[in-house]
Amino acid sequence: MSLNKIEQARGLRVRSPQDLAAGIFMILLAALALFLARDLPLGTLRQIGPGMLPKSFAVICAGLGVMLALTSLVYKGEQLQGFSWRGVIFVLGGAVLFGLTIRGFDIGPLKVPQLGLVVSGPIVVLVAGSAATDLRWKELIIFAIVMTTFCALLFKYALGLPIPLAPWLLGI
Amino acid sequence: MDVFANLALGFATVWKIVWWAPGFLQGAVSLPIPINILLCFVGCLVGTLIGVLPGVGPIATIAMLLPITFGLDPVGALIMLAGIYYGAQYGGSTTAILVNIPGEATSVVTTLDGHQMAKQGRAGVALGVAALGSFFAGSVATIVIAALGAPLTKLALLFGPAEYFSLMVMGLCFAVVLARGSILKAFCMIMLGLLLSTVGTDLETGQERMTFGFPPLADGIDFAVLAMGVFGFAEVLRNLENPETRDVVKTKIGKLLPSLSEIKQCINPVLRGTGVGAILGILPGNGAVLGPFASYTIEKKIAADPSRFGKGAIEGVAGPESANNAGAQTAFIPLLTLGIPPNAVMALMVGAMTIHGIIPGPQVMTKNPDLFWGMIASMWIGNLMLLVINLPLVGLWVKLLQVPYRLMFPAILIFCCIGIYSVNNQPVDVAFTAMFGLFGYILIKLGFEPAPMLLGFVLGRLMEEKLRQALIISRGSFMTFLERPISAGLLLVAVIVLVIALLPAMSKKRDEVFTE
Repeated sequence: MSLNKIEQARGLRVRSPQDLAAGIFMILLAALALFLARDLPLGTLRQIGPGMLPKSFAVICAGLGVMLALTSLVYKGEQLQGFSWRGVIFVLGGAVLFGLTIRGFDIGPLKVPQLGLVVSGPIVVLVAGSAATDLRWKELIIFAIVMTTFCALLFKYALGLPIPLAPWLLGI
Repeated sequence: MDVFANLALGFATVWKIVWWAPGFLQGAVSLPIPINILLCFVGCLVGTLIGVLPGVGPIATIAMLLPITFGLDPVGALIMLAGIYYGAQYGGSTTAILVNIPGEATSVVTTLDGHQMAKQGRAGVALGVAALGSFFAGSVATIVIAALGAPLTKLALLFGPAEYFSLMVMGLCFAVVLARGSILKAFCMIMLGLLLSTVGTDLETGQERMTFGFPPLADGIDFAVLAMGVFGFAEVLRNLENPETRDVVKTKIGKLLPSLSEIKQCINPVLRGTGVGAILGILPGNGAVLGPFASYTIEKKIAADPSRFGKGAIEGVAGPESANNAGAQTAFIPLLTLGIPPNAVMALMVGAMTIHGIIPGPQVMTKNPDLFWGMIASMWIGNLMLLVINLPLVGLWVKLLQVPYRLMFPAILIFCCIGIYSVNNQPVDVAFTAMFGLFGYILIKLGFEPAPMLLGFVLGRLMEEKLRQALIISRGSFMTFLERPISAGLLLVAVIVLVIALLPAMSKKRDEVFTE
């Protein structure tokens, strides 16, 4: 809405795809919240029930979403930019792999033993690091080893956090 | 004077000595460690570092370092986190002056004249003036906090649930108005934050709300998970897409200390900047961001020759930098006295306090006086340290600016992952954080600025609690918020602020301020 000049409106058309998408996104989130909260009792004003605030907030969110979507038809605004999946997949994937390997997991047929920081640390650095467009493998591998050592010393020893290092190898 | 006795307690807390017997020496030697001073120093150093590095903000850093503070006592932990916060304000100006990118959102104004000065070979003077002005402002603001702390806490004790609720509504209205970008979108973010805060077990009935029947969500969305996902991971994704070109000033930095005539030129801007910044900083809803803009505008208006501004006017560095630092410090006032965070960073401090079992609010001062006054005293000491760290180490910071992002972000990620895992020792939290990272990335793509969401999220639970209490007391009548004078006054201010911001003339001006 900001920074935009009102175009001479001749019929309604999408003038700000980003705002329209944002509005729809808000409406979808609100709908999801309303769906999840459908069984929660509203209660009365005197004794507010667990559903009162979630539902009211969701309704306001939906209202704001509608307003955003409507303004996108009036005010000129930004285009919607594409996602760069490379970053999303490698960076977030690296983090998820860290979560899966640090203490091991057991989902159906898949079983990963508790690998600990010694393995999970390099995994997250290497996988996430591959998201960079100016990637240099040698540098990244050295960096992964250095960072893991540093983090092990800092978190495990200096700060005494109970993070497994390598239970399968060192027993800690 | 009470203030002095209290400050004495604060300084005593800061100087606390812990005897440390290194394990590997089998207790043969024990060394005296001034633990809190050390933590303050570490905080300031880390803060300056992240302030200098563009693309790493204080929100992400404090979220990342929250788990590190688990092993510390609460006083030390908060002293360190506070140090990171105001250290980042100092560091941000270094980047603004030398590289022409604001390392911090609040140092945008400094780029205007600071970088011009650097181009003219006066980078050192600009850095010196910024540091000295910030130190002065920080010292004054510390005194303001000490002086206002006690009376405001007394005032807070008069607050009932209705007043608290209205105060938070006002805070959120300010946050909407002062957010960057569209007001409507900022409003969306606040409401989304409030909505997210209702996930989890209902406090009164014990019913699970919107948890998908998923046990880890029963306690609600973890604050650290949300903050690190949206500000750690999503920021990395955003930065990977927009590689910055960093043109570090090639000319010599030159002498750091300003000459006598330059100091004379700066005294008044620094004084005005400090005043403006300190007052705006107290406002709920991130008034501190306005300080530098306001100060710059004032200096330009009253200057004999306004055309010098934008071409390396020293007043254009001294005023806004002082305002910035003063505002950053006084932003602690609403948090420490009322327990209401005025911005996203302070919202993180609430998280930090809660993790350490301290409920922010007026009772902090009576129940944990050492924490309250220790933090205040540490701020002054921290400001002094920053003056010492910043000026001689400028060369080092310039070197750090050359660390490529391709190495910076894997480091951020491993820290985030270990940090998140350590909060509850739950690997599933890391996956959750990644999910919120994606969520934050979508928000950024849709043009939302996520900072107000964090504020809404933190205030949400408190607001719900106070709303319920107020309505029980008033037997279900909403009029209670208007019948009680303080509450009505706060709501009135909230409405006025919103109306003013929505007036066409003002919203145009607001756009100018936030895009400059």
